[in-house]
Amino acid sequence: MATQTQPAVATPDLGPSMISRRWRGARHFVRRQPLGALGIFIIVVLVTLAVFAPLLTDVSPTDIGDDVLVEPSADHWFGTNRAAQDMWTRVIYGGRPSLTVGLAVVLIGVIGGTVMGLLAGYLGGWVDMVISRVFEVLNSVPSILFGLVIGASLGPKLDDTLGSDFIINPRLLAIVIAVSIAFLPAIGRILRGGVIAERNRQYVEAARVIGASETRVMFRHVLPNLLPLMIVLASTSLPAAILTEAALSYLGVGLPYGDASWGGDLGGSARQLFSLAPWLAIFPGVALGLTVLAFNLLGDSLRDELDPRLRGSGLRG
Amino acid sequence: MRAYIIRRLLLLPLIVFLVSILTFSLVRILPGDAAVARLGAQAGACQECLDRARQELGLDKSYPEQYGKWFKGAIRGDFGLSNATTREIGPELKKRALVTLQLGTISILFTILIGVPIGVLSAVKSGRPLDYGLRLFSILGLSVPNFWLATLVVYLPVYWWTWNPAKQFKTIGEDPLSHFGLLLLPALVLAISASAYVARITRSAMLEALTSDHVRTARAKGLAEGTVILSHVFRNSLIPLLTVVGLQTGFILGGSIIIEDIFGIPGMGQMAGRAVFDRDYQTLQAVTVITTLTFVVMTLAVDIAYAWVDPRIRY
Repeated sequence: MATQTQPAVATPDLGPSMISRRWRGARHFVRRQPLGALGIFIIVVLVTLAVFAPLLTDVSPTDIGDDVLVEPSADHWFGTNRAAQDMWTRVIYGGRPSLTVGLAVVLIGVIGGTVMGLLAGYLGGWVDMVISRVFEVLNSVPSILFGLVIGASLGPKLDDTLGSDFIINPRLLAIVIAVSIAFLPAIGRILRGGVIAERNRQYVEAARVIGASETRVMFRHVLPNLLPLMIVLASTSLPAAILTEAALSYLGVGLPYGDASWGGDLGGSARQLFSLAPWLAIFPGVALGLTVLAFNLLGDSLRDELDPRLRGSGLRG
Repeated sequence: MRAYIIRRLLLLPLIVFLVSILTFSLVRILPGDAAVARLGAQAGACQECLDRARQELGLDKSYPEQYGKWFKGAIRGDFGLSNATTREIGPELKKRALVTLQLGTISILFTILIGVPIGVLSAVKSGRPLDYGLRLFSILGLSVPNFWLATLVVYLPVYWWTWNPAKQFKTIGEDPLSHFGLLLLPALVLAISASAYVARITRSAMLEALTSDHVRTARAKGLAEGTVILSHVFRNSLIPLLTVVGLQTGFILGGSIIIEDIFGIPGMGQMAGRAVFDRDYQTLQAVTVITTLTFVVMTLAVDIAYAWVDPRIRY
């Protein structure tokens, strides 16, 4: 992961009326942030396509059809690939792994990063020392390289131990773990900076004076004030996580060969056919790019709304 | 300041050391057996050959012993033999690292040449249609997956004009012109999203500088608008750009794994990608450690430069 070298970001000062302000803000969101609203619209469409994929097509993404390498037509909107699989079907199903991994990584990264950032930033001392070094070590390896090594080693192992009937595809789980390990430290580092900025504020002192325990101050007082920063970090790391997942699938570390995923359909042996059948390269790529774009638009507008000072300093993969 | 630099310099070897242990352990959990991988089809047939291969590769020793041996070599630049090719890794890595270094340098140049002017223009024309257009470009640039862009750049010309931009790679010695020519496209692809990022940073830094007191003073004393922009606004917004150089390093090192593969550039990234699939522990370890070292050193250099350029920053 490309890490930021900018000084730690301060947490936004939104005061006690934060929540009511945000609700009022939501009403005007569309008017104030038309691009953000566009992002939300695209996300809703993409999620709908991925969730209701079985209703939107009458074949399965791995079904082998009759027509090999057909150009986009009325029968096959996005054409077919070498195995005569319908590309429209593969593209709408292909959103599933991307969105799953993106959401899972952001959940793990933000929750884990918050806990570790709180501990490091609030407690300081040796806890901070250890956590910061761990973050630093993990941040020093580019996320793709990291994901590549962990994904390649963990995938088959999880496949063996969990079996393919497990609730989540073991290979996908391996990717989630790999990308999370790469993302958590970057998120945690920024949150640690946020905690340090909060720690010296008056409300923390006040809470301590009236006898609140450290745990209570941390979770009941500091944590709520980190919420805007957490939302911004979540929305900026989501597209980056999706891109990393796609890159790993592209390299063949992701889902088993043949399963529908945007990254996977763009890479591997399919590449040799792109000069004959460019539609194989165009549609999964457009879907992937559109998803990342939509989340970027949403992330940008959330950042504008929640913390103008964070502009231009988001995470990227 | 000096204490900070010394502390960082002391931490640097520690970080690289920890990363080397981390990769050593990670690489050990890669599935498959390097000895089996080396022998190929023979492996099943001959237990004796397998044992001998294990011994040659040092796989019969304990992990700490294996690590100790590797570490002693590594600090002298000797990374042992590749499990896949049985050739020495050191010289190969050096050759490939140089290629990636060139690719990275050209890419950073592109990043700045594209990103800075866009950011400056966007800030100067802030709120006008040109600003919106340029910002749209930046967000598009940030969203386009670079491996997809690379794929289109390589394969679409073949489809349309049967012209293949990814040609046989030439070293500087063989054909310097073709060598650099071949690096241009992949460098540009790597630069697209980074330059979008630079444009955004430049824009916000410029906007901040534009509203500051010293700029108002410069205007008040009657300086021409061009002079104000160039020597008062632009100079002050150069500082955040330093970050980008550090950031780009990590980005290029990661991105090169795919981009070099697509364009057929024999660099370090291609080496890393192949090593994963060949279960080539030794090579993967070497590449990861060198990558990390480069990244950590660059980050440190940027942090120091930051404090040096901007006297307000004190560590």
